[in-house]
Amino acid sequence: MSEQQDYEPRVVAFLCKWCSSAGSDLAGVSRIQYPANATPITVPCTGAISPMYILSAFNKGADGVLVSGCHIGDCHYLEGNYLARRKMYLIMKLLEFIGVEQNRFRMSWVSAAEGAKFAQVITDFVGDLQQLGPQDKLKRAENK
Amino acid sequence: MSKKRTGVFVCHCGTNIAATVDVAKVAREMAAENTVAFTQEYVYMCSEPGQESVVQAIKDNKLDSIVVTCCSPNLHEKTFRDNAQRAGINNFTCEIANIREQCSWVHADKAKGTEKAIKISRSVVRRVNRNQPMDAIAVSVTRRAMVIGGGIAGIQAALDIANAGIEVILVEKQATIGGRMLQLSETFPTLDCSQCVLSPKMVEVKRHPKVKLMTYSEVQEVSGSVGNFRVKVHKRSTFVDPDKCKICDHCTEVCPVVVPNEYELGLTARRAIYIPYAQAIPASFTLDEDACLGLNPIRCGKCKDVCEAGAIDYDMRPQTVTEDVGAIVVATGFDLYGPENMPELGGGRVEDVLDGLQFERLISASGATKGHILRPSDHKEPKEVVFIQCAGSRDPAKHCAYCSKICCMYTAKHARLYKKHVPDGRAYVFYIDIRSGGKGYEEFVQRTMEDDDTLYLRGRVSKLYRKDGKVRVHGTDTLTGQNVEIDADMVVLALAMTPSKGTAEIAKTLKIGRDKDGFLAEAHPKLRPVESVTGGIYLAGAAQAPKDIPETVAQAGAAASKVIALLSQATLSRSPLIAKVRPSHCTGCGMCVEACPFFAIRLENGKAIVNEALCEGCGSCSATCLRAAIDVKNVTQMQIHEMIEACLA
Amino acid sequence: MIKLQDIRDTARDMLAKGEARAVIGYRRGSRGMLAEPAFLTRPEEADELVWDPTCFHNLSLYLVHDRKHLAHARKTAGAPVAVIAKGCDARSIVVLLQEHYFQREDVYIIGVSCEGTGVVDERKLAGHLNGAQAISAAFDGDDFVFTTAEGEKRLPAREVMADRCLECCSPFPKEHNLAFGEDKTGRQLEAPFAALDRFEAQGAGERWDNWARHFDRCIRCFACRSVCPMCYCDECVVDSITFPVTTATTAEEKASRIRWIERSAARSENITYLMTRAMHLAGRCTDCGECDRACPVNVPIRLLNNKMEKEAREQFGFEPGASIGGPSLVASFLDNDPGNFIR
Repeated sequence: MSEQQDYEPRVVAFLCKWCSSAGSDLAGVSRIQYPANATPITVPCTGAISPMYILSAFNKGADGVLVSGCHIGDCHYLEGNYLARRKMYLIMKLLEFIGVEQNRFRMSWVSAAEGAKFAQVITDFVGDLQQLGPQDKLKRAENK
Repeated sequence: MSKKRTGVFVCHCGTNIAATVDVAKVAREMAAENTVAFTQEYVYMCSEPGQESVVQAIKDNKLDSIVVTCCSPNLHEKTFRDNAQRAGINNFTCEIANIREQCSWVHADKAKGTEKAIKISRSVVRRVNRNQPMDAIAVSVTRRAMVIGGGIAGIQAALDIANAGIEVILVEKQATIGGRMLQLSETFPTLDCSQCVLSPKMVEVKRHPKVKLMTYSEVQEVSGSVGNFRVKVHKRSTFVDPDKCKICDHCTEVCPVVVPNEYELGLTARRAIYIPYAQAIPASFTLDEDACLGLNPIRCGKCKDVCEAGAIDYDMRPQTVTEDVGAIVVATGFDLYGPENMPELGGGRVEDVLDGLQFERLISASGATKGHILRPSDHKEPKEVVFIQCAGSRDPAKHCAYCSKICCMYTAKHARLYKKHVPDGRAYVFYIDIRSGGKGYEEFVQRTMEDDDTLYLRGRVSKLYRKDGKVRVHGTDTLTGQNVEIDADMVVLALAMTPSKGTAEIAKTLKIGRDKDGFLAEAHPKLRPVESVTGGIYLAGAAQAPKDIPETVAQAGAAASKVIALLSQATLSRSPLIAKVRPSHCTGCGMCVEACPFFAIRLENGKAIVNEALCEGCGSCSATCLRAAIDVKNVTQMQIHEMIEACLA
Repeated sequence: MIKLQDIRDTARDMLAKGEARAVIGYRRGSRGMLAEPAFLTRPEEADELVWDPTCFHNLSLYLVHDRKHLAHARKTAGAPVAVIAKGCDARSIVVLLQEHYFQREDVYIIGVSCEGTGVVDERKLAGHLNGAQAISAAFDGDDFVFTTAEGEKRLPAREVMADRCLECCSPFPKEHNLAFGEDKTGRQLEAPFAALDRFEAQGAGERWDNWARHFDRCIRCFACRSVCPMCYCDECVVDSITFPVTTATTAEEKASRIRWIERSAARSENITYLMTRAMHLAGRCTDCGECDRACPVNVPIRLLNNKMEKEAREQFGFEPGASIGGPSLVASFLDNDPGNFIR
């Protein structure tokens, strides 16, 4: 257990530009502290996130992958998050199916006004990943 | 390909970044990237000397791209892109790494914060490595506008735009323009006659050479984008030629069909052929197709027989008209929350329980009772009237969570007008609190309470029902803690305002968002309150949120000024960060065509083609393509791939 | 019951009258009892056609090959190609049509119903023959009849049929120009996704242990990709070997080729390859089972595709290849798609 407490999960966080990235900016402006484990990659829309990105992040050694975008109905591009919801559901189910722990992939809706929620999402996710320990199922050997 | 020369500029932001991120280490790590030719730290990169040093460094070191690691791109992306351009390199080869909002401000642990700042910066350096220089796309602008909804908001917006010399098409679903305001009797806080204020504006719209009026019409389809929309409008058939109709009324005298009159909110009836209101614009009768016996001389044909002007044409067909416009104002107004949702307030089934709009018709000089207040059940003058505010509003558990904003004022107005008509009557008002912010509003409510002796009871009504020819109202007066029982002759519910029926459809057609309550969503609650999220589409009136007439007129004027500003430009510049197809990899499967929310992709000769004027650069196509044959420029799959790598290195 | 002669007559007739440029069907193979795909162009070859429980190949694959060949030779199609298609194969053709891979008039679908049975699973059959080699196989009602050196062996089809055929509820090719055999749509020998459900009943840990073994065995020979009619891309995004480099290949093009995974057949790379393939087949796989059959190391690839198919059907009401012109799974959505998993 003590080993796990020192362990720092590595998270790739795909954030949509309009809501979740803006929400994380608000968390910053509000100085809400959260773990530094998640590195954000800002994309135009969750709809632009290919399932390939999720697999690739795990393959490149991520312990967890987060996808976060606008709430349903609020997509800047109207439908992008609906498309993302379906794609991400499928990749999540596939990961679960081969036995990857459910808590390694997470999706959330965080609006530009939800700075506190953004911080909470990261905090919870990192906490859950700490319980799981390192991800080595999809991780490429040379990165192990 | 010659080697990339990227410059990285690490901002301390005073101590905002430097206190929790080891900026020197970030700069050192970036210098180690093999595409980075130059790094620099500075205390305030966005200050004048900071910006100058960026420009100078680009020139001195022959940089071809830059990354500024600083605050959110929302703040200074434009600043540094302008600097890049000033230094002679393309502005799209500048990217921001956000190490303040997303890092230094949220992580107190300097070691961990620094590590994350390095990852963020490195990923952006890798991204910029593959950024392509590009120029903004210029799009020509159609100098015409459309206003959807012919209430006071739509009329005002149309007039303001037309007066700037821009042609406007005003589309109204009903047979006459005027909207809700036309149904009102007098308006608060001045108690001037609503129709007297509105009618001249209606006439002005009708006569304005720059306004094309389309009543009995609905927007069916919208394509295109800011500056160039193509709108299909469906015009229902009125079966009466407005140019020939002399509004002589002979047709209604012979029409055998009687249906409730919507304009009078069911308080009176009308015929199948009718004019909604004496001063309707356009001044013409309308034949209600659904009510008519059959639009056929064999079935009835009475109206056609008596029409001396020959204005009635049973063969008139609906039309679909296509209009090209550069901007759209949506002013589709409001409806009232359905009383059937509130069994505690009679569920819409208790006689002599009216809603606010019905009461307006009852006290209006042009209404069914010619302005005499007579209750519907027995046409007697009600001597005790209970007004219930917040009927459906401010009740997140059961009804609408929001405040409908105007009910406090119009209920006060109703109480005063009632007292004016029935001086020996008694008015009670149940309220939660009185919200009377607005010029002259508080004084108005005070006068209602004091001068007109209206009894304001602070509390909610728990139930009401019919008893002995009266409406028994059970409520609580929370100030005295007493239960109150009133046997009223009439009850008026200040029902919550809801977006008008059809708002969801129009929002979908226009591809603009709605808020959680179904009202049309503004692009920013504070800074862009009259713009929708979609460029070139603006909002006015109660379709956006409950509001009173002055606010509606102000918003309509604001929307009009946005339209005028937009349409005064010869061309618009659009972001060039849009989708690009690799034809060699495209198999023409059409999944991107299906996924695109903007209908910007089509198949031509078995390959996907992106319409640059329509693409918004969302990337849904790219994530859907199985072959990576379509990418958003400067956010390509390759770039994301390398960013993922950088985040995990 | 399908009369083989009817199929042969149709093929002969079409070729003789020039109504088809070629007929793609099955003929006796060179190995034991197995049928093999046949690309017939002359009327007299029609008598080579066979129809038996070993006709498992999804012949729509050869429609894809034909298009590639035409494109390569810069020829236009002319008359259509006729193809023999079982229920699953016909659905594959529908998906290809949806994806505009060819036009409806380019293909003449000679549908064959699997009626009450399906195709044989060689692995299951081996368990019943005690080492003997079957030299032919035939349909006979609910039975399969195999001929071995020792004589005839009659087995209930259900015991040796492929899982996918047991679970199939639409063994009749709905999309066809001409169809042979009885329409037994809705027949239910076993519940759909029965094999998948058995696998899924295990805990996450067990599932991983199983998959880890399978993924370890994969040698990334790409046989699964080669037999799949849906894997028609010239370049596979997860196989950099397929990225052709010619004198015309520009530096920019080379640079834009992402190496999502490494070439080595390491477990992590195998997983990423197979998972990507499953995602790419989501909403497109018609469960013809060819990938599973072709795998030389017995990776149960079908389960991955099946998982996607099951989610598509149960959560999105989506059935691949149900009709031409319908939506595609990942480019469409419904307002009430599941969203509970999102925080």
